[in-house]
Amino acid sequence: MSKQYTLMDHLQGQGITRRGFLKFCSITATMLALPPSLIPQIAKALESAKRPSVIWLSFQECTGCTESITRSHAPTIESLIFDFISLDYHHTLQAASGHAAEAAREQAMKDNEDQYILVVDGSIPTGNPGFSTIAGIDNKQMLIDTAKHAAAIVAVGTCATYGGLPHADPNPTNAVAVSDIIKDKPIINVPGCPPIPIVMTGVLAHFLTFGTIPDLDDLGRPKMFYGNSIHDRCYRRPFYEKGLFAETFDDEGAKAGWCLFKLGCKGPTTYNACATAKWNEGTSFPIEAGAPCIGCSQPDFWDNGGFYNALSQPTISIGETAAAAIAAGAVASVAASAIHKSAKAKAAKKHHTVTTDDME
Amino acid sequence: MSTNTIALNAFVEQMDSSMSAYFQSCTHCGLCAEACLFQTETQDPKYTPIHKIELMKRAWQQEMTLTGKLLKSIGLAKPITDDDLSEWEKVVYDGCTLCGRCSMVCPAGIDISGIIRKAREAFVASKHTPEGLRHGTKRAMELGSPMGVQLPALLAQLKHVEKDTGLSIPVDVEGADYLALLSSMEIMYYPEYIGALAKIFDHANVSWTLCSEAFEATNAGIQIGSSDLAAELVERIVSGAEKLKVKHVISPECGHAYTAIRWEGPNLIGRPFSFHVIHILELLDQLRAEGRLKTTGSWDESFTFHDPCQLVRKGGVVQEPRHLMGMFTTGLKEMPDAGVMNWCCGGGGGVSANPRAEDLKHIVFNKKKNQIEHTGVNTLVTACANCRMTIEEGAEHYNMDLNIIGLTEKLAEYLEPNQ
Repeated sequence: MSKQYTLMDHLQGQGITRRGFLKFCSITATMLALPPSLIPQIAKALESAKRPSVIWLSFQECTGCTESITRSHAPTIESLIFDFISLDYHHTLQAASGHAAEAAREQAMKDNEDQYILVVDGSIPTGNPGFSTIAGIDNKQMLIDTAKHAAAIVAVGTCATYGGLPHADPNPTNAVAVSDIIKDKPIINVPGCPPIPIVMTGVLAHFLTFGTIPDLDDLGRPKMFYGNSIHDRCYRRPFYEKGLFAETFDDEGAKAGWCLFKLGCKGPTTYNACATAKWNEGTSFPIEAGAPCIGCSQPDFWDNGGFYNALSQPTISIGETAAAAIAAGAVASVAASAIHKSAKAKAAKKHHTVTTDDME
Repeated sequence: MSTNTIALNAFVEQMDSSMSAYFQSCTHCGLCAEACLFQTETQDPKYTPIHKIELMKRAWQQEMTLTGKLLKSIGLAKPITDDDLSEWEKVVYDGCTLCGRCSMVCPAGIDISGIIRKAREAFVASKHTPEGLRHGTKRAMELGSPMGVQLPALLAQLKHVEKDTGLSIPVDVEGADYLALLSSMEIMYYPEYIGALAKIFDHANVSWTLCSEAFEATNAGIQIGSSDLAAELVERIVSGAEKLKVKHVISPECGHAYTAIRWEGPNLIGRPFSFHVIHILELLDQLRAEGRLKTTGSWDESFTFHDPCQLVRKGGVVQEPRHLMGMFTTGLKEMPDAGVMNWCCGGGGGVSANPRAEDLKHIVFNKKKNQIEHTGVNTLVTACANCRMTIEEGAEHYNMDLNIIGLTEKLAEYLEPNQ
């Protein structure tokens, strides 16, 4: 594939019309929460964008992230964007193996020094270098070497961003996230188990268009995709507001599509674009399929209680308990303060004034 | 009342909502142990700061909590006996300098050294106090100074100072801006301090005076832990200052004297002061900032500076001495932990006035010794007469080659002569 090809050439070769392309640009602008006036800029940037070199490293992972991207099957616009970068190294997808594969990585690093984008999925074991190696190089060393001359790092999936499943208790390999090891490079966290394909391509599109890292939240995630909780954007939210909850997976409430909060939905504490971008070319997302959100884009989601336990499951009536607690608290504090005051007052009355006689 | 009942009563008198919160919020994390030089140097767990108040905590549980009262009513509470008081007396007096380092590190924000100070009230009231400290306090109450220094002794020293400096020392000047207080140690052992004050105030044209009725800054009542006696000693200074109608009172180079007059004073006498209290280092730094201090020449020696605990931790006087030293030297080699987390010399909080604690004082001085040796210098500057004395004794005990100087007198050496 010639490196001089631009995205527009490539799209036309794939039978994508300019109308289709502009439509993609509009969607991208919407996803990135940019004003419509920037759509031409995105189109222009992408039309003339050269294929940046991307090196994809996979460490302790399940290949789900790669699966997610490949499932955004051709000819969707997302996968084309992905075709359009020069993916110079990717264990699972590359044809080369052994020395040839490693040589490709080294060549790409050399040719694109300080310009390539490093994508990482999977967590990095720090317990013993032998826990996970590629071509005889342990994961940590490979990450450090490859990150050294990267322009930016995109950590893909919850393992690479926050340690994910390998990091779950008892964390036998002492797995850590990319950001625990690399401190001197811009890192964009794209968590999810796996992340949504358009979120991954959207982050890359932003980088290609503006040459900058998107605005990130305190967990290093692009705010445009992770700015709202699933709960805030959930189509079942009205049921939550009305207090209509499914109590079991097969009751009338579940059938009527009521809120899944009591069945363990982690939507209120999970930040991701599932409820808006959805999955499988915008078909649906877990809650729409009747499954509570498990909070997979949040750190340590595996260890945050059971998936089917409600976030704050009350065991008794909240109102009665609160009233009883307040009453009990008030009585206790009055009693405690009374003991305190009377004891102190009595003691003050019996005060032994210290004089020089006590200094004999 | 028997002595143990008096003690229990005095413990209860000290309780308030913050004490109650403190007793309930300790999580036994052990950070205070590592912050206390008595613990680190002896490795004896009884010197863990929060443990030092265990007896007071027992009093709180029995008298101030519902469960404690319940247990006491059915005879399950362990009473506080005279033997307990004798045993804990050695911990709260000999094994604590009230340096406040533990209060700094407590993640629950418990003012441990503040509680120990309050716990001492019960020990004083029940006569469970170290003899040396008791006798010093008696002298302070009856003679005006824990060392027995009286006015004729001061006047005799002033004559020497006037002769040495060629300056007259103002005494009982009504309407002066500043009333300078002195510690007995300065009068008897370090009269250079008085000379330095005279030189600096003459140089900076500061209107100041001493007071013949209130020259003693130290407060034995604070050290032994009796608010009754401490209030009387503070009252002496207040009446002297009010009589002379001064605007400011200067606390000298003495740690607990500063805490006594600056922080505890108004609470002890129950009314606000009509004057403002300032530590000598704060005043000197203020004069420096106003451009009223001019120095000449520079001191070429390498030296280290010992931050007195009461100054840095209770008063936040950290940068002031460094600004002042910066005027005439660049030779300062800071100790590890210098500033607010500096280690205590081991003689504060009445320990230096308690001969029974002497051996322990020498053991814990090892901490300061290590700090000093780390800097590799043979000269130490400080700003507290008691620290100075303790370090001198410690250096003597360990055969250290160490020269110890007060900051104010060193600064006075480098003043530019007035035209």
